[in-house]
Amino acid sequence: MKTLKRWCAVLSVVFVSAVVSVPAQQPSPQSSQPTQQNEFIPIDQLPPQEQLAAAPLLIGAYVFVLAVLFLYVLSVARRLTNVQRELDRLDTTIKQGGRA
Amino acid sequence: MAVAVVCGAMLAISPLVIASADYESTMGLVQKIFYYHMPSAWIFLTASIVCGVASIRYLMTGDPRHDRTALAAGELVVVFGLLTLVTGPLWARKAWGTFWIWDARTTSSLVSWMIACAYLILRRYGGPGSEKLAAALALFGMANVPFIYISVNYWRTIHPATSVVPKLPFTMGFPLWFCVITFALLFIVLLKLRVRVEEQQARVDALYLSLDER
Repeated sequence: MKTLKRWCAVLSVVFVSAVVSVPAQQPSPQSSQPTQQNEFIPIDQLPPQEQLAAAPLLIGAYVFVLAVLFLYVLSVARRLTNVQRELDRLDTTIKQGGRA
Repeated sequence: MAVAVVCGAMLAISPLVIASADYESTMGLVQKIFYYHMPSAWIFLTASIVCGVASIRYLMTGDPRHDRTALAAGELVVVFGLLTLVTGPLWARKAWGTFWIWDARTTSSLVSWMIACAYLILRRYGGPGSEKLAAALALFGMANVPFIYISVNYWRTIHPATSVVPKLPFTMGFPLWFCVITFALLFIVLLKLRVRVEEQQARVDALYLSLDER
């Protein structure tokens, strides 16, 4: 019985301390929530802490755009070459009077 | 050909033009993704409209030239939509702290891109007669465009509003419009090339038919 009371007391302390500490750990929604922007304001110098964190994302975006566009142009050029080659082959076949 | 050369040169020097732009005060370096993200998004929406209008004309007239234009534009919707949907989250990761939010703009853009993917899949695997069904599908893609554009002004979101562009100072506006012109020229060149592929393919199909009839 004495042990049970002791455990109840310990659990009560843990529960109360947890309830009290949770609101303190939560960030205020106003400080963490970005807000919608209606205009962009330019600045001359970039803060040093901004440079490294954003660079991989920026480079990744530009490399992705240029790579996709390059591959698509290659794909269209290859398809155009293939269909042109087939057209020439068919023209030759028709001129010879039969099917290849 | 001259347009393609000008377009290629503009695309090659666009990073230098963007590098000269001012940094944005709250987002810093990552905001420079904007100069490729927004032109991609505009061409994504433009290609959706071209695909939809060509599909309407095809449904009304049955002229295969409109169908070829719609197919070429549909492919470009997927390409430029992919660029928009990848560059946006890379920007958002730094600006918002997350890659993706399910707000009206991002969700409707994703839906529009998926409609374009469905259009291409239908054209590829739908078999004979799927052109008209795909054309009807393209109308849904086009109908979504005004919703995508105005969504940031009417629904709650942290995506920048459409009022950002008219308010841009020259140091940020010049690189943006340079990239918009570059991407627009690129769209015209790619659309013409892609239509050319379809025209030549139609000639090949016609030649095969004439050989079969002999």
